[in-house]
Amino acid sequence: MLILLACLQAALALLAAPLVSGSARWMRAKFQTRKGPPILQDYYDIIKLFKRQDLHTRDSSFIHKLMPALFFGTMMLIFMGVPVITRFSPVTVLADVILLLYLLVLPRFFFALAAIDSGSSYAGVGGIRELLLGVLVEPAMMLALFVTILATGSTNMGEMGMAIGSFATETPVAVALAGVAFACACYIELGKLPFDLAEAEQELQDGPLSEYSGPSLALVKMSMSMKQIIVLSWFVAIFVPFGSALELSLPALALGLGVYLLKMAGLFFVCTIIENVVARVRLSLLGHQTWAVVGIAAMALVLSILGV
Amino acid sequence: MTMELLLFSIALSLAGAFSSLVLRRFETAAKFTATLFGASAALLALGAGFLGIFGLPDTLSFATPFSFASLSLLINPLSGLLIVVINLLALVAWLYGIGYLREYTGKGIGVLGLFMNLFIASMNLVVAADNVFWFLIFFEIMSLASYFLVIFDQKKASIKAGFLYLIMAHVGFFLIMIAFFVMSTFTGSFDFASFRETDFGKSAASLVFVLCFLGFGIKAGMVPLHSWLPKAHPAAPSHVSALMSGAMIKIGIFGILKVGLELLAGSGVELWWGIIVLIMGACSAVLGIAYALAESDIKRLLAYCSVENIGIIFMGVGITFVGVALQMPVIATLGLLAALFHLVNHALFKGLLFLGTGAVIHRTHTRDMGKLGGLVRTMPLTAFCFLIGSLAIAAVPPLNGFASEWFTFQSLISAALASSGIIKAVAAFALVALAITGGLAVLCFVKAFGVSFLGTARSEAAFKATEVPLSMKLPLVLLAVCCVCMGVGAPWVVPVVEGIAASVLIAPGIEAAAGMTLVNPDVGGAISTPLVAVLIVALVALPFLLRAVLARGRQATDSTKEPWACGYVPNTEMPMIAASFAAPAHMFLKPVYVVQAFLAAQQSTFHRLFKSTVKSAEKIEPLPDRYLVDSVTNFTTWLGRKAQAIEGGNVRVYLTYIILALIVLLIITALVGVGGAL
Repeated sequence: MLILLACLQAALALLAAPLVSGSARWMRAKFQTRKGPPILQDYYDIIKLFKRQDLHTRDSSFIHKLMPALFFGTMMLIFMGVPVITRFSPVTVLADVILLLYLLVLPRFFFALAAIDSGSSYAGVGGIRELLLGVLVEPAMMLALFVTILATGSTNMGEMGMAIGSFATETPVAVALAGVAFACACYIELGKLPFDLAEAEQELQDGPLSEYSGPSLALVKMSMSMKQIIVLSWFVAIFVPFGSALELSLPALALGLGVYLLKMAGLFFVCTIIENVVARVRLSLLGHQTWAVVGIAAMALVLSILGV
Repeated sequence: MTMELLLFSIALSLAGAFSSLVLRRFETAAKFTATLFGASAALLALGAGFLGIFGLPDTLSFATPFSFASLSLLINPLSGLLIVVINLLALVAWLYGIGYLREYTGKGIGVLGLFMNLFIASMNLVVAADNVFWFLIFFEIMSLASYFLVIFDQKKASIKAGFLYLIMAHVGFFLIMIAFFVMSTFTGSFDFASFRETDFGKSAASLVFVLCFLGFGIKAGMVPLHSWLPKAHPAAPSHVSALMSGAMIKIGIFGILKVGLELLAGSGVELWWGIIVLIMGACSAVLGIAYALAESDIKRLLAYCSVENIGIIFMGVGITFVGVALQMPVIATLGLLAALFHLVNHALFKGLLFLGTGAVIHRTHTRDMGKLGGLVRTMPLTAFCFLIGSLAIAAVPPLNGFASEWFTFQSLISAALASSGIIKAVAAFALVALAITGGLAVLCFVKAFGVSFLGTARSEAAFKATEVPLSMKLPLVLLAVCCVCMGVGAPWVVPVVEGIAASVLIAPGIEAAAGMTLVNPDVGGAISTPLVAVLIVALVALPFLLRAVLARGRQATDSTKEPWACGYVPNTEMPMIAASFAAPAHMFLKPVYVVQAFLAAQQSTFHRLFKSTVKSAEKIEPLPDRYLVDSVTNFTTWLGRKAQAIEGGNVRVYLTYIILALIVLLIITALVGVGGAL
């Protein structure tokens, strides 16, 4: 039953991925008072891309060909462990927050390598920026998670959500503040404006993906949307678990799914609004934002040690 | 049985050393005898190590004419583990040397065989020694043998690096010696066995611990005593670098564990020891990897990464001391498990990376990453093994680096959950440091692998490189397989390491692995590396399978085109090189990296606090160099110059120095021995 649920979750992420990117495009067009593409445009794009020829550059190696599948596979794997419809995780041994943080490193590692592998220096620059962003975001994420772990006594996402969902944490103020820091870190991790440095179009022309085409490009695009879903689901599972199913009965699951979809739609809506009202941050100033987030998380830690 | 195997292995090493010296005029013969003896010695010692881990502790004692110098050896699970690590690397290094040493033909391979055999034998003996006098003697032989290996290629830079190493090794030696002498004045005996039962009192125990922490910390390459490591390790031939970075610096860790947990067991552990070790570990980890990132010499990059990994191991060690001091055996065992597991894993992937680098150097004769590139096509197997090593050291699941770092994280979290404010704050600091380290390690190894092996070849040598011979491939594959197995098979390896940790702490065992999962029994966190591995393979295969089915009859993959590169024609100035990574990283991480860009712009108190920390860190970084290293170096250089005026030859001065050091040591020990007897 739980295995089924895990596979269902992964399938959900897979099917919803183009919708996430498509609706973001649609909303962006509305903000700019353009007619814009239909919401389902990204489905059409991906289907079309899958029919195209797969091109790789002359100098590229197996890494360039492996990366899209690896990115895709890792995202599916991660999504199997995140509590989505239920409060607990379908696969407990995949729901450890440290494991998740490090599982995100695997595609990032290959993402940057593939960019360098393509032999195009523009792609390479984008790849390095992607890694840098990781370096700058991880301390904030880790610190925010640490405060939450201290308050909930567990490193398992499901159990952390349980504790927060039943208001059973020892230091509610600290956890709330950690939640804010974590939300900021998640937003940076989404790779949306103002933090879309890796894909900054004007400078780098689609960044690390500039040498991808056809089915490979389709896979990477889907995986990137899946990553956005994962990052937000992660935040939801730990800090806003309210409404998710506590048992494996059909009505509870249906309600859980409905609430989850609502929460995600709301979050994506907010994210898209933010994305459309800000300008891209200059790379050299990125440190300001990320260290401010670390500052918030550090504040949460101080509160947590003080016991509030 | 255990001890007999070890002694037999030592005898073989000595025979190898001797025959290699005798045959030094016939280099091929010298190489093969040294390798044959050395490899069989390593095999025997491996057996001894495994027996030490799984069997009962074994001791052996020879009486000597001097009462203070009775040669006693002890193999318990901890020394067994170290012996396994040392000899596994020794075995692959010997095998690797068969092909690798062709480059050194005519440069004295016989002498190399002599020192390498001595080096490995002395490492085994240091780990097994159970008497102060012999421990120091073997420690000194180990330092000297490795010194001669560092200066082996006789280039100016290596001789300079070797000299710095020699000085630092002796500063460390001196500190350790004082610590041991302090202990022996209490017990009146030079046997470690007598130390174990003695209560030295709070202040003496702390003094001994601090001295040993600094002394062994130098050997381990801990920040801020690391300056010798990135100079000395790259100077040696690559398989020796692998041994030094993989095995020798672990003896520093071993020493701290042995002194803190075994020899001072009678006096009890202080909480602040653990906190200091933890903080130093965190600093070593971040600074080590930050400096590694700035390197464009691939061997120096790897050497700095050793500083980083020593820092990660120290974090586990720190938690162990905290756990022991606060009488929380579960947390202490968890911390020690993390430290020992990472110790083994680091030996495996660092050995792999150094040997892989050696293969590249063997074919291209350059260590500058700017002159490499595109090797993935010409040296595919080396590239693949190097990739595995890079993934492992960057702690990517499900490989071994991740498994041990997970335990480090978990032990930090457990310690923080179980204790008060100060430990919580220190643990948070260490956690953030570990997170930054993880991020930077990814950047660093994407750089190391990407710039050296991917893209286009940037020099004639890299373009014409060919795959290395079988004798060099085999060690690479062996270590790569070990890295994968220790990660995916972690649930089966961890109970063994946990058993060693529990035996060191004389604590009841903990349930750190259950079935296919790794467990933190204190908090209840669980992961399953085998499951991750299986699922990743399956889920990555899925899109390939789907495409194979769906793409039938469509156009095949084409990989003959130039990169599009936004419409520009790519030229040789454009590809990603080492500096492309260093520049943006430098932008954020200047000068102890990370914080500075933020600090410069902000003015509030919170930021000023950060600023002063960075400033003082900046100031402190060169301090040990200026006062500790330079003053000693200057003094010894001055002494050397004086001696040179009398003697003339450089080597003779060194030899005089060594003999003098040994004589002084003998006199001091004899005096203390007499003093003790009186």
